[in-house]
Amino acid sequence: MSQTDLEIVVDDPTAPEDDSPSVVSSGTVEIFVCLLLLALAATLGYDNWRTGASWDSTGPEPGYFPFYLSVILGGSSLYGLIVALVAHRKAAETFVTRAQARRVMAVFVPTLLFCLATQFLGLYVASFLLIAGFMRLVGKIALWKSLLTAVVFTAIMFVTFDIAFDVIMPKGPLEAAFGY
Amino acid sequence: MEAFGLLLHGFAVLLTWKTLALMMVGLVLGIFVGVLPGLGGPNGVAILLPLTFTMDPTSAIVMLSCIYWGALFGGAITSILFNIPGEAWSVATTFDGYPMAQQGRAAEALTAAFTSSFIGSLVAVLLITFLAPMISSFALKFGPPEFFAVYLLTFCSFVGLGREAKHKTVISMSLGLLLAGVGMDTVSGQLRMTFGSSELLRGINFLVAVIGLFGISEILLTMEERLALRGHAASISLRVVLSVWKDLPKYWVTLLRSSVIGCWLGITPGGAIAASFMGYNLAKRFAKDPESFGKGRIEGVFAPETAAHASGTAALLPMLALGIPGSGTAAILLGGLMVWGLNPGPLLFVEHKDFVWGLIASMYLGNVVGLVLVLTTVPIFASILRVPFAAVAPMIVVSCAIGAYAIQNAMFDIWLMLGFGVVGYVFKKIGIPLAPFTLALVLGNRAEDAFRLSMIGSGGDLKVFWSNGLVGSITTLAIVLLFWPIIEGLFARVGWTQGTRATSR
Amino acid sequence: MKAAVVLTAALCSAPAFAGWEPTKPVEIVVAAGAGGASDQMARMMQAAIQKNNLMKQPIVVSLKGGASGAEALMYMKSSEADPNKVLIAYSLIYMLPLSAKIPFNWRELTPVSVIALDQFVLWDNSAGPKTVKEFVAAAKAASAPFKMGGTGSKREDHVLTVFLEQKTGAKFSYLPYKSGGEAATQLVGNHTESNVNNPSENLEVWRAGQVRPLCVFDKERISYTSKVTDTQSWADIPTCKEEGVDVQYLMLRATFLPGKVTAEQQAFYVDLFHKVTQTAEYKDYMEKQALKPIFLTGKDMVQFLEEDDAVNKSLMTEAGFVAK
Repeated sequence: MSQTDLEIVVDDPTAPEDDSPSVVSSGTVEIFVCLLLLALAATLGYDNWRTGASWDSTGPEPGYFPFYLSVILGGSSLYGLIVALVAHRKAAETFVTRAQARRVMAVFVPTLLFCLATQFLGLYVASFLLIAGFMRLVGKIALWKSLLTAVVFTAIMFVTFDIAFDVIMPKGPLEAAFGY
Repeated sequence: MEAFGLLLHGFAVLLTWKTLALMMVGLVLGIFVGVLPGLGGPNGVAILLPLTFTMDPTSAIVMLSCIYWGALFGGAITSILFNIPGEAWSVATTFDGYPMAQQGRAAEALTAAFTSSFIGSLVAVLLITFLAPMISSFALKFGPPEFFAVYLLTFCSFVGLGREAKHKTVISMSLGLLLAGVGMDTVSGQLRMTFGSSELLRGINFLVAVIGLFGISEILLTMEERLALRGHAASISLRVVLSVWKDLPKYWVTLLRSSVIGCWLGITPGGAIAASFMGYNLAKRFAKDPESFGKGRIEGVFAPETAAHASGTAALLPMLALGIPGSGTAAILLGGLMVWGLNPGPLLFVEHKDFVWGLIASMYLGNVVGLVLVLTTVPIFASILRVPFAAVAPMIVVSCAIGAYAIQNAMFDIWLMLGFGVVGYVFKKIGIPLAPFTLALVLGNRAEDAFRLSMIGSGGDLKVFWSNGLVGSITTLAIVLLFWPIIEGLFARVGWTQGTRATSR
Repeated sequence: MKAAVVLTAALCSAPAFAGWEPTKPVEIVVAAGAGGASDQMARMMQAAIQKNNLMKQPIVVSLKGGASGAEALMYMKSSEADPNKVLIAYSLIYMLPLSAKIPFNWRELTPVSVIALDQFVLWDNSAGPKTVKEFVAAAKAASAPFKMGGTGSKREDHVLTVFLEQKTGAKFSYLPYKSGGEAATQLVGNHTESNVNNPSENLEVWRAGQVRPLCVFDKERISYTSKVTDTQSWADIPTCKEEGVDVQYLMLRATFLPGKVTAEQQAFYVDLFHKVTQTAEYKDYMEKQALKPIFLTGKDMVQFLEEDDAVNKSLMTEAGFVAK
């Protein structure tokens, strides 16, 4: 009864191939995560033991709960480790394929660089660089479109947060030059 | 009719041009957030939260809850037109919604979805309206032991009722509780787990964690998969809307059933996801021709949408009344409440009447306005999906960073957000649930403080948790829920014997 | 010396003095949760400055109550040379570095002005004992120690409780809540027997007739005589000394800028807060919250801070709250 006049189709030219080889299996990652959690539990447990983890006259000391929580965390990670080790021998489910890993890195690395840039150049400059750079280099979008989008978006953010709502963002040398 | 008078007062608080404008802005932003891939209810609200920091709490919650309604409406658009559930709770909507769109009935499906969201939320808001005054009457009964018992109940129900591997739930929750303890311990005034760092002094803010865990990790996950999408465009004409509405009375049983399921699961921490599936399955079971479900039946849209929205709305009641979020988004709203300096809990209804009733009134208004807005603007929002992900992804990253920074004006939090993004990505891929982690991070400190204050008060006597009927019954219920799988096993054994008897007869 | 000259110049001839002015929104940093006494004061200043057009730039209140207020202190410390942040300080600037070994010293900030002194009052539930003597007797006779609510641990409320124990011989269990508001409602709900809140924190529940003020921890009674409840004014509350319990404590409310700001910038804020103290909003606020008016700047202020610091240090040491 209604008109489904047109279809919306968005293609993804950079989609990962289906037959890409596995980089690492889920089991291996699980073992790694459990080991990390064990190390974290040990560190925090030690720190809380130092702070005081006993039960004095007025109830538990500050380190009491965190200490036993680290014990629980350690215990369940150890259990997880054993489960993962046992299962590891049988099947190796893919955690990430090479093509997928490449794509995840294509977002993660720019995000990391963005955080670094924010630290030194302020958020707005970093935002401009991230959007323009990502659109151009990862999305292969025309340079003028990338630059325009980056400028417009950054400007909108600046006006909304720093001017309209008085939410102050980290700034760098560029903003300082304009007196902000 | 105490509730009615208070509600009218709430409307009076609300009806200014400023709040109405904020409402519209909130709704539009919310729909936007709901439609964009890689964003959604909880992280969308978390990212937009800083916008409200400098407002007074009532305007802030009005805007924020409108963002929430908007996100709920927006989720339905992508599920029906593109078969992409924006939220886990819209999965059930795709079962019949997308086939309807394929058959050229997209406008009908959308109208059904929006209308049933509206009805579901409305029923839940009515429930909140009439339960809220009752809550304030027993507010003062809550001392530290009662608060602790309620927190314990929440934690236990997660471990006992969760579907994931138990050790993974425990890992997630204990990690959250540990990180919640970082910083200053209020009870003793001592620092702990800060390792001499002045950045860790403040503790780990859970909103920062949420933005990382859900926002950044979602971008990584979305990027990992294929981004091609194919869907239907649709515009809604008044004629279609009226014809769907005319048929509504035929489906009153389905609507009512789903609303009740939704309200119930929203108040108990079952959540919208369970509600939407349950609503769908029950509608199917009670239908005369269950096999026609999944092929584009309008009831298949009504049932899950009504239930999901009733539950999403009802989840706000335990959040306001007890400080316990019934859903991810409710948890973010809870964080917002604390930033604006309101202490969620029974006393909120006594101390901040304006705020509570302003919020409830805004739920009514926001829903009506939202329904009209979404019916008229579908084509615009559906076309957002044409924007290439390569443009959307960096914008979301920037929004996440702004959100994370603004909460405490700390650069360190941007790094923390990035860290949590990686944690969220890995945890999601190896099946460690994130919900218990967030919940523990929100409630951890308060649960510990409540426990230790109870201990100081009782001189270290654990019997205080069974010292009166209220606290005793909550504590007992918590322990029952913790061991629920075992108890259920016992029941099942009894039930199995009965079952065999039934079949043998 | 030069700073002092600038200060006096600023105070005497305000409009003709064309000095520095903020170019960005000014952030008032509150070292406590929302709704607490510091937050209310910040909101009052915000209203007073904006209504009377005392400054062109807007004012933003930012709550940094994390880690019992340590968050605000570290934030100010790290904002060196930023003249757009003003801290509303109270006694935590002396106490926190002692009790939790926070690497902070108020001498690293730029003092602007002391704007008020806050009182402490001993409160109990209106169903409880009616006078200090009855209260102390009941506390001594009780089988379990009386529960005393307060804000934070090893801070002013806690110190007062310890001194109350020493002077009366009664035992109390001190319950550290996150805010004065929470301590107030817990007293109303009978989960504690008493608290030592500031007047402002218990004002609403007092007016509702749910709590009773027993005595005020000062040398003299509060000066405000207009009725707060149907029958009582702030001035009707006896001092604790009158009631035979000689414990006194006053808490400063002062404003600070971050360290290393210029003298012009400091002078601007001295002038600004001086103007604030002249507004109707300020006077109204002082009376409503039963604060003791005071305005100190420059050398007077530093001298006051040094003396106050010494007093607090000895109290903390005596109470055994200084971390090793």
